[in-house]
Amino acid sequence: MDTTAVKNKFEFNNNVLSFFNKSFYYLESFSTLKIDTLNKYDAIILDARDVEFARIILKKFRSHSNLDFYLKPIFLINTKPNNDPLLKELVDGNIVSFDQIPETINDINQISIKTAQLESSNSNSFEIQLFKKVLNFMFTRETNTFTPHPDINSSIGYCYPTISVNFETFEEAKVLELLEWAEKENLIWPDFLDRVYLCSNCKNGHLSYREICPNCDSANMRSEDLVHHFPCGYIGAISDFKNNVDTVLNCPKCSKNLRHIGVDYDKPSIINHCQNCNEVFQDYLVKAKCAHCKTDTDVQFLVSKNINVYKLTKKGRTAAVGGISAADFALSDEIFGTVNLKTFATMMHYEQERIKSNAALSANIVIFYIENIFDLYRKIGKSKERELLAEFVNIVRDGITPADFICINNPSVLSVCMNDVALNDAQLMVMKITDKLEELVYNNFEGFALNVVTQTVELSKEQSFDKQLHTLIKEIVEKG
Amino acid sequence: MIDAFDEFLNYITTVGPLKLLRIFWFFVYFEFARFFVFELAVVVVWKLREPARKILYSNARRRLFIERPLVSIIVPGKNEGLHIYKLANSLKEQTYSNFEFIVIDDGSDDDTERICKSLQKNGLIDLFLRNDVRGGKASAANLGYRFSKGKIIVHLDADCSYDNDAIEKIIIPFYLDDNVGAVGGNILVRNYRENLCTTLQAIEYSDTISVGRITSSALGIYRVVSGAFGAFTREALDRVGGWDIGPGLDGDITVKLRKLKYRIVFEPEAICQTSVPNSFKKLIKQRLRWDKSIIRFRVRKHRDVFYPNETFSFSNFISSAENITYNLLLNIKWWIYLFDMAINYTSLLKFIFPFNILLYTANNFLKFIIFSLFRNRKNAPVIYFIPYLPCMVIYFGFYLRFVRTVAYIQEFFFKRSYKDAWNPQKSSAHAKELGI
Repeated sequence: MDTTAVKNKFEFNNNVLSFFNKSFYYLESFSTLKIDTLNKYDAIILDARDVEFARIILKKFRSHSNLDFYLKPIFLINTKPNNDPLLKELVDGNIVSFDQIPETINDINQISIKTAQLESSNSNSFEIQLFKKVLNFMFTRETNTFTPHPDINSSIGYCYPTISVNFETFEEAKVLELLEWAEKENLIWPDFLDRVYLCSNCKNGHLSYREICPNCDSANMRSEDLVHHFPCGYIGAISDFKNNVDTVLNCPKCSKNLRHIGVDYDKPSIINHCQNCNEVFQDYLVKAKCAHCKTDTDVQFLVSKNINVYKLTKKGRTAAVGGISAADFALSDEIFGTVNLKTFATMMHYEQERIKSNAALSANIVIFYIENIFDLYRKIGKSKERELLAEFVNIVRDGITPADFICINNPSVLSVCMNDVALNDAQLMVMKITDKLEELVYNNFEGFALNVVTQTVELSKEQSFDKQLHTLIKEIVEKG
Repeated sequence: MIDAFDEFLNYITTVGPLKLLRIFWFFVYFEFARFFVFELAVVVVWKLREPARKILYSNARRRLFIERPLVSIIVPGKNEGLHIYKLANSLKEQTYSNFEFIVIDDGSDDDTERICKSLQKNGLIDLFLRNDVRGGKASAANLGYRFSKGKIIVHLDADCSYDNDAIEKIIIPFYLDDNVGAVGGNILVRNYRENLCTTLQAIEYSDTISVGRITSSALGIYRVVSGAFGAFTREALDRVGGWDIGPGLDGDITVKLRKLKYRIVFEPEAICQTSVPNSFKKLIKQRLRWDKSIIRFRVRKHRDVFYPNETFSFSNFISSAENITYNLLLNIKWWIYLFDMAINYTSLLKFIFPFNILLYTANNFLKFIIFSLFRNRKNAPVIYFIPYLPCMVIYFGFYLRFVRTVAYIQEFFFKRSYKDAWNPQKSSAHAKELGI
């Protein structure tokens, strides 16, 4: 990049450009990459001569969980023609030289104003956390449509850039799950575009469709016309009628030559011969082999998914600014051995009354905050959420006494009431439970390091339980 | 009337037996002698040989179950989907289980394809073959035979049902005699209670067809292996190239096999039940088709069985001659008899006809009751059919004779079988051209 001209107009130092109180970071290679420091710049000028490089950087920004990163204005420079949907949808513009930087100022200001309007809200589920982030991006970029793009890199053949950027390309099916959730929450409205068929095992759309023998599943087969010779009624594969001398077809039954299709013979159907097991059949099976997990599935068992163009509903547009108020999670109802928050609060009130009546009695509140649970869900898929939480609850249950009770506040927070145990003992028990939780995830999800933060306090007889719980959760989240 | 009858009785007692024979010659020479006395003699001998046959049969059964050859059951048909499920289920009950079940859909335009594909998917059919364009029953049967793998091919009709040992029974005769090329099964009428038409056919099947086939088989002149239930060795079918185009392909293939000196036998214990036409109008259509085949195949296509050439066989000669004589010629003679009586005994016609009917009815009762003693398997107790037996004179003596006469005229003079919609015109036209 020739920076001579640039220096005349802009201050350019160590890839940082300043113009009208705006600072830009010019990112041209991995060697200039200082991702942790980039949130202090107003915008990024990303050199797109190397499309793959640009793609990786863009993905790093847009998939970041920090709002300062994922909403960062990014402009491409030196863009070459390409069909990458991420490079088209997730940048704020293309410039051909630094001379065009002044033209970006207005966009940067707009994004900044819009970003300032965003209200922070506590997210209580993976879907809400992620979708809120996507909505924030759409709000600041003034778009309200999720348009699917055919994408060779996507595991389902399509990608929704604003959402897909948060997932690996092989887990694109999770994008569809998220969209289905949002549709169910009336945040978006679908308009059918296409349909894809996915592997029933891994939800991958890179399938190899094969016609196979119904007996041995081999694709090694030969198809032939059936020939019906009218005068004698013989019917068989066309090879029955061929000879080694000439191309004339002779009937093997009456030895007559076949002359005129429709007059003395016809071809009423076809027959397939399996070259592997010698089976003869007319209807072959169609199976789809997944390029990802190698599962061979009968096509009728493939997972069919609609690819829709989604538009934000009124609720969705409101949620983009104010946050998502999703339908209540009924995890406590679904996971055995837990109570919901309302019941938990009621029981804690009784508990307070109980310890008030006898000074010898005590109770502790324990909060388990699983800080990076949503990273884990992103990795394993939302569908596993309930199974995983059930496992967590089982571990907690094994580590406490039968009289204690557990509440799932949200997928990242569990509250436990531990009765008549000294605080020290309770803390010890909690430590053991935490180790088990982390061990479970580490062993089952490719060494994923679960970050569990805990807080164990004695239940106050005086302060209202709701207030105690609220303070505890606030502290623990901030601590995390 | 009583006076007149007295007068007739007086007349016949006066004229003596020779004169009576002159008046009732048709009944005495043909109906009574051939279809009662002769058949009775044969079935009595057949019955007397039963103990010896049972030993041979038991040995043959043992040989069958030691070898356990693959049997290919082929069922060609058009729009038979609804029957196939029942048939598939009944085959599951068979005592002989080493078979492949092949269904050939000859261009059905209903749900047959969907039903059969579903059955194939669920393992009730081993091979389902379909011709999108209808080719006729022969081509459908040939298609099934072409892609079958069994040593023995059993041809069934989709709308029939079978005793659970029917497959075993029909293939045992192949182990009684290595020269057996085909075996015909015994067909009973399933819907015999439906109406008069079906009841009369049930009597006909059990009497004429069943006992008639026991007789012809015992004499070595059995001539029609029914398409509803017939078994063939692959070797025999290979030699004749499968079925030729019909109608009448069952009789045709039997003659072709006979010409190759194969033994063709009837197995009365291999039971198949079928639904016969339930109206006289439908029955006419069926019988016209059947009866035309005598002219088409016996008189025309296979007339060479009467020629003294190198393939000549006395049993084939008798088989065809007997068939032509007792169906075609007897039918003509019956009309001659009518004219003979009308011309020579005009004044006695009023006595001759009632007496003839009396004779025939008495004969029918006698035959049905006596022959029922030789039938191991019956549709219903003999008593059920007794009230209907008087109707057989009209049914057999007039109705069927009339239909047969029409069929012979149509085929002999107009070759109407080639225009029968039962077979597609594209192949019938060629058959007519080739005279087959």
